[in-house]
Amino acid sequence: MDRQLLSETFVELTDTMVAGFDVIDFLHVLTDRSVQLLGASAAGLLLADPRGELRVVAASSEAARLLELFQIQNDQGPCLDCFRAGQPVSAADLGAAAQRWPRFAPAAQQAGFAAMQALPMRLREQVIGALNLFRADPGPFAPADIQVGQALADVATISLLHERSMRRSDTLNEQLQTALNSRVIIEQAKGKLAERLGLDMDLAFGLLRDYARARNRRLSDLAQAFIDGSETIAGPTASRQQQLPLGAGQVHRQSRSG
Amino acid sequence: MTASRPGRIWGLVAGQAASRGGRVSAADVCAAAVAAVGVTGAWLNAASGAEAGHLMWVTDQVSEQLAELQLTLGEGPGPDAAATAGPVLASDLSELETTSRWPAFAPAAREAGAAAIFAFPLRIGAIRAGVMGLYRDRSGPLSAFHLGDALIFADTATLLLLDSHDPAAADPAAGPGPGCQPAALTLHRAEIDQATGMLTEQLGTGIADAFVRLRAYAYANDLRLTDVARDIVARRLRLSPDLDPSRDGEA
Repeated sequence: MDRQLLSETFVELTDTMVAGFDVIDFLHVLTDRSVQLLGASAAGLLLADPRGELRVVAASSEAARLLELFQIQNDQGPCLDCFRAGQPVSAADLGAAAQRWPRFAPAAQQAGFAAMQALPMRLREQVIGALNLFRADPGPFAPADIQVGQALADVATISLLHERSMRRSDTLNEQLQTALNSRVIIEQAKGKLAERLGLDMDLAFGLLRDYARARNRRLSDLAQAFIDGSETIAGPTASRQQQLPLGAGQVHRQSRSG
Repeated sequence: MTASRPGRIWGLVAGQAASRGGRVSAADVCAAAVAAVGVTGAWLNAASGAEAGHLMWVTDQVSEQLAELQLTLGEGPGPDAAATAGPVLASDLSELETTSRWPAFAPAAREAGAAAIFAFPLRIGAIRAGVMGLYRDRSGPLSAFHLGDALIFADTATLLLLDSHDPAAADPAAGPGPGCQPAALTLHRAEIDQATGMLTEQLGTGIADAFVRLRAYAYANDLRLTDVARDIVARRLRLSPDLDPSRDGEA
């Protein structure tokens, strides 16, 4: 693991956890960093809604195939097991996991993944979701990676409380629901933008995110304004499509999954 | 397993409607919620945008006072819930954190007889339908179980309010309407939200109308909402700005 990147990541994450920060964007940065730090190919952060259903709130890619892999796990899968038990769940070889998860394991393999690790997001007794890591190569995640991964999952949990009081589980529940609703706003905005500009969902999300950052607005606020019609978003220009240099908050995507 | 909880909630709401001999409405959600989650009363504000909206239903006089106070003072759990799009759970109105947050409302609310207030925005992402408020005459948080139920009651109220704007749903001759299909939103799917967004462009409507049209199409064609949404996202299906939902779908 890149130790430099590790310490930079924690400084970056804790630095941004101040009043008024954008939780959704933060969780996206966190899942991106998880991929970079832990030797994963993809990552997703799932939160449980009042029905006990696990819903994606942030993922390292908005590719539909990846998001679907998270959605499948409402019936079965490592995330569900992890959430229910409040304990880490892993599969070093998804090819051998078909009996364990008859629907999820083959789907994950078809999407190009061979191994996975799920880490619980919990605050004291309450399990609120899971951080899900996927890898293209089989084999277990290293103990050091699992440890850092759990720390990142804990940071994600705490970020939902940010400047508010940490005593009260009420606060966590309030923020949880707000985050879940924010994700819905963003999905709606993705659809609207994708249809308007003729883009796929992944590109539409990237455009929303770039636009929000450039104007220093919360992603969900911008998405709401776009849907309400008070904000216009122009199509991607040639210069914006160039890779941005690495810097705070920027992420270099090394590969795009299908 | 997960499908039974919304089913149970719907049963409670439908039971309320049956006991007064009427069609299921958001008022029944309020009454059922009060009985189910250990609170004293409820109110419901309907609002289709960022504005304050109008008081639509109350279960008792105290609820009415609380709703009016928040409107007059412009502060309180309800306005905060509408602004932040997340629930506001004030389990003790005499707590310092609460009295500093709502210096005018908190003491007035206590005087009116409330010790705890829980306000839930009625939203599906960017779609706003209003706010539902619950109060209790004793302080204390909602249990995790009751909170879960309250959130599902809120989702149910949202759907009923949206359907009440749909002319087809209001027409008794048209049949029960999509609002009577609680299974419609049992499982959350990102495709439903994406398809809703896409429809705002295809139909040239706002987000609430796009969602109503999406559900109406699924209902009129006896299809599952998730299947219709998937087809729209995959661009196998387009809806057109046509008055008759059963004629939509020429891709």
